[in-house]
Amino acid sequence: MASRYDRAITVFSPDGHLFQVEYAQEAVKKGSTAVGIRGTDIVVLGVEKKSVAKLQDERTVRKICALDDHVCMAFAGLTADARVVINRARVECQSHKLTVEDPVTVEYITRFIATLKQKYTQSNGRRPFGISALIVGFDDDGIPRLYQTDPSGTYHAWKANAIGRSAKTVREFLEKNYTEDAIANDNEAIKLAIRALLEVVQSGGKNIELAIIRRNQPLKMFSAKEIELQVNEIEKEKEEAEKKKSKKTA
Amino acid sequence: MAATFFGEVVKTPCRAGTEDEEEEEEGRRETPEDREVRRQLARKREVRLLRRQTKTSLDVSLLEKYPCSKFIIAIGNNAVAFLSSFVMSSGVWEEVGCAKLWNEWCRTTDTTHLSPAEAFCVFYHLKSNPSVLLCQCSCYVAEDQQFQWLEKVFGSCPKKSMQVTVLTCRHVTDYKTSEPTSSLRTPFLKALKTQSFRESPCCSLLEQPNIVHDLPAAVLGYCQVWKIPAVLYLCYTDVMKLDLITVEAFKPVLSSRSLKGLVKNIPQSTEILKKLMTTNEIQSNIYT
Repeated sequence: MASRYDRAITVFSPDGHLFQVEYAQEAVKKGSTAVGIRGTDIVVLGVEKKSVAKLQDERTVRKICALDDHVCMAFAGLTADARVVINRARVECQSHKLTVEDPVTVEYITRFIATLKQKYTQSNGRRPFGISALIVGFDDDGIPRLYQTDPSGTYHAWKANAIGRSAKTVREFLEKNYTEDAIANDNEAIKLAIRALLEVVQSGGKNIELAIIRRNQPLKMFSAKEIELQVNEIEKEKEEAEKKKSKKTA
Repeated sequence: MAATFFGEVVKTPCRAGTEDEEEEEEGRRETPEDREVRRQLARKREVRLLRRQTKTSLDVSLLEKYPCSKFIIAIGNNAVAFLSSFVMSSGVWEEVGCAKLWNEWCRTTDTTHLSPAEAFCVFYHLKSNPSVLLCQCSCYVAEDQQFQWLEKVFGSCPKKSMQVTVLTCRHVTDYKTSEPTSSLRTPFLKALKTQSFRESPCCSLLEQPNIVHDLPAAVLGYCQVWKIPAVLYLCYTDVMKLDLITVEAFKPVLSSRSLKGLVKNIPQSTEILKKLMTTNEIQSNIYT
């Protein structure tokens, strides 16, 4: 049945599916995992770094991009589609600042991106954007925000979420481990993001990229060394927890 | 006769079927060129089973030359990577033959160092126990070649005393279920067995109306007809290319009777698997 209703985006199938939109969601799953965590005074974005070819300049393969000084996003899916969406969002951020003399709120820019994506699900001859995005930042009121958008053009606020390959596994990990204690301070929130990624990332900390935004501070990208330090701390904590467990059982 | 919109006059087929039958038959009769083309195509698509060192064809089927009690077949790059890192790394395996074939989707390679990214079909037996046979098949075997492959591997009168285990992957979008696909926890394992397979499989059975395709289906069908105990472990995944999580989804199979005892060091195997992944990552910039 699907094959007759997936040729044009503007056609519903008899049971109400928009197959092109659902196929676009499959394209998102081909991108590597990205996780977003909303802490009390921090927002964290962690991504699984794709291995870069030998002759490729690593700086040009980025999954986390700043949209403005106080908002950044991570995406999963088609690289070229992400580039187009990010460029449009960046222009909109500046245009908004010039027009109303205020930086965009995280919700505004998320709604802009989601509206853009939805337009492409209802246009003749165009296919949807094959990306999901995690948008994080702080508004003027100092409240941290995390939003997720998907190819259908929906957007929702989340406390923590994951997109891309194995997103389900990471989301289940977050559902079990996102507690008030886990986000009690900034360092704990960062560790939670790394632990969530380590569930699905091959070869550990070397393949993780992390970015944080603290209240009233610009985006900070973690260096490989800083991530390694965090990973080592997490491994030590794991070992200690296991030792305690084995003592208890003994 | 009929006239088309453009003014040509064309011959319309007669539904009665009685007119001009002889003329049509002449048109249908094969010319020598047609026969030659057909012969060449059949030769090109032939499945050849070659001996290891001499690279000459085997005169008998593989299982006649190397009778076995356990035959484990991995079809597809994830299943091949699983057997390479968990089973083949835990013992000394000797290559006993390889299948060479050509079709529109793949041509088996001739290289000595086979990586899961290339297309090949190689057979091994365990040196310490030659009755355990293993097949690593990472090439696509087309429908017209499957019967040839079965004949050359199993032969026309296979022994019922062996047990066959097949491992393969399929994309989760092929899995038919009343649950929404977004709620499925991929990757997951499903089993399908022949009537003579008495053990209980390591995972739940594949439900109707799902079906198995290609070579794994041909092998199972063959085993069902010849009453050979066989089980297929099918991993439904959302990542068809070589992927660590998909390969690890096969781990429950290690507890099955055919694979137990063949795997010695699981942590070491996991390390080998990780190395295999990093050396074989295909660089694609389409998805990030």
